[in-house]
Amino acid sequence: MSFWQASRRVFDLSLGEMLWSRRTIFMALVVGGPVLLAVIVKVVELFGMSALRVNGQRVAGFGVFGVMIWMLFLRFIVPVLGVFYGTALMADEVEDKTITYLFTRPIPRGAVLVGKYLAYLACTGLVVLPSVMIVYFLLVPPAAIAGSFVALVTDLGLLGLGLAVYGAVFAFVGAYFKRPLVIGLLFAFGWEQVVLALPGYLKQFTIAFYLQSLVPHAMPSDGVASILQGMFRESPPIGVALAWLLAYLVVFLYMATRVVERKEYVLEQ
Amino acid sequence: MPIHDQGYRRYGGIRTGIGRAWQVMTRAGIMNVIAKRQFLALMLFAWAPFVVRAVQIYVSATFQQASFLAPKGETFREFLDQQGAFVFFVTIYVGAGLIANDRRANALQLYLSKPMTSAEYIAGKLAILFLFLVSVTFLPAMMLLLTQAIFAGSLTFVANNLYLLPAITLFSLAQVLLASTTMLALSSLSKSSRFVAVMYAGLFFFTSALFNALRGITGRSSFAWLSPSAALEQLGDVIFRLPPRYQLAPSLAGLMVLALIGASLFILSRRVRGVEIVT
Repeated sequence: MSFWQASRRVFDLSLGEMLWSRRTIFMALVVGGPVLLAVIVKVVELFGMSALRVNGQRVAGFGVFGVMIWMLFLRFIVPVLGVFYGTALMADEVEDKTITYLFTRPIPRGAVLVGKYLAYLACTGLVVLPSVMIVYFLLVPPAAIAGSFVALVTDLGLLGLGLAVYGAVFAFVGAYFKRPLVIGLLFAFGWEQVVLALPGYLKQFTIAFYLQSLVPHAMPSDGVASILQGMFRESPPIGVALAWLLAYLVVFLYMATRVVERKEYVLEQ
Repeated sequence: MPIHDQGYRRYGGIRTGIGRAWQVMTRAGIMNVIAKRQFLALMLFAWAPFVVRAVQIYVSATFQQASFLAPKGETFREFLDQQGAFVFFVTIYVGAGLIANDRRANALQLYLSKPMTSAEYIAGKLAILFLFLVSVTFLPAMMLLLTQAIFAGSLTFVANNLYLLPAITLFSLAQVLLASTTMLALSSLSKSSRFVAVMYAGLFFFTSALFNALRGITGRSSFAWLSPSAALEQLGDVIFRLPPRYQLAPSLAGLMVLALIGASLFILSRRVRGVEIVT
C-alpha cells in the first residue's frame, strides 16, 4: 500500500474517532464561547442597549467581529486546539497502548501520523470555521456583508492556515517529547507571547508573528502585553509571511513523520 | 508443589488513627514529583525571578545611585503577579494527574477501601499541589522580604510596611487555593491527565480571552469577574493596598474566587467516592 493510500485509511479511521469523542465536546465548548458572545451582543443590539459603545462612540459590527477574531480565535482557540489535538496525535495511542496495533499493520509508520494529522485538520476545520461564519453573520449587519466578505474569506483562510501550522508543530512535539502538553503550552502561551513583546529578531521564531501580520483587522490593545506587542509589531510582506508559515508546516510535519518512523515507543506497563 | 490456601490473617502492623493516613499519600506524591528532573528544572526556573529581585535589592541597598531600584510595597505585588505564570505551569505539571491517574488505574477504590476517608484522600492530594505552589509563591516572597531586611541591615522597611506580611500570606493563599482546588476538581472529572491539563489551560486562557474580548468590545473592564485570574488580580490589588486595576467591585472579585474554590470542593466531594456494593 502506498504512503498516501495508507494515510487515507488512517484518516478515515481517525476522523470518526476524533469527531465522536469527548474532545469534540471540549472543542464545541471552546468555539461555542464566541458564538454565545455574539448572540448576547446581537440580543443587546436588538434591544437598542448601548453595549457596543467605546468612549461614547458606537462600534460597528464588523469591528466587533475583528476583535473576536483577534482575541478569541487567533490568540486562544487556534493555538489551544493545535496544542490539544497536535500533541495527542501520537501520545493518545501511546497512552492507550494501542500504537502497537497501528504499527503492526503493513503500512509506513509515517502514514499513521500524516493520516491522523489530516483527520485533525478536517475535524477542527469542520468545527472552528462554521463557528466563525455564525459569529460573522450574527455580528455584521446585512448591508455590510458585501463590503466585508473578502475579509471574512481571508479570516477563514488564516484560521485554517493557523490550525495547519500549529498542528504540524505540535504533532512533532507530541511525537518527539515525553511530556508534550507542557512543552506545547509553554511554546504557545509562554514563548510566543513573551517574544512578540520584545524588539529584535526573536519574534521570527514564532508562528503568531507571521499569522498576525496577515490579519485584515486592526490589532486591539487590551493590556500591557498587547501594547508592547503593538509597539514592536512588524508586518512582513504577505508573500514572506505565507512562505514562512508553509515552511514551518512542511518542515515540522516532515520531522514529525521522521520521528514516528524512527522512534521506539516504550509502553508503560 | 503444594498450593497453600491463604485465608484470613490478623493485621500485624501498627494502626494509625484516622486523620493521618493522608500524610503517607502526600509524602509519596511529593517524592514522586521531586524525582523528575524536568520538574526540578521548572522549579529552578520558577525561582529565577527571586534571584533577579534579590540582586535588585542588593544593588539598591549597596549603591546610592541605584536607590531608585529600592523595593516598595508594590514590588512584592508585582513579584507575586509574575509568579502567576509558574503557578500555572506547576499546577499543570503536578496536579493534572493527581486524581485522574488514580481513576485511570482504578486505584481510587483501593485507596478508599483502606482506613482512609474521602476527605483524607482529597486532603492528601491537595497537600501535594499546595506545598509545591506555596514554594513558588509564599516562600520566595517571604524570602524576598527577609533578603531586604538582611541587605538593608535594618527592619525599618518591614516595620514601615508591616501590612506586607498578612498581604503576602493572604494573596499567596488565595492564589494557591484557587489553582490547587480547581485543578484537583478537574482532575477528578477525567481519567486522562492530558485532557485535564487542557481543560485547566482552557479554563484559564479562555476566560481571560473572553474577558479581554468583552473589554475590547465595550471598553469597560467590569467583566473581570468572568476570568478567575483577573478576579484574583483585582483581589490582589486590594490586599496590597493598591488602586484596583479593573472596574469591578473587590467584593465581587473575592466572591468569584470563593465561589470557584467552593464549587471545586463540591465537585471533589461528589466525585471522590468509593464504590458501594449493595447486595
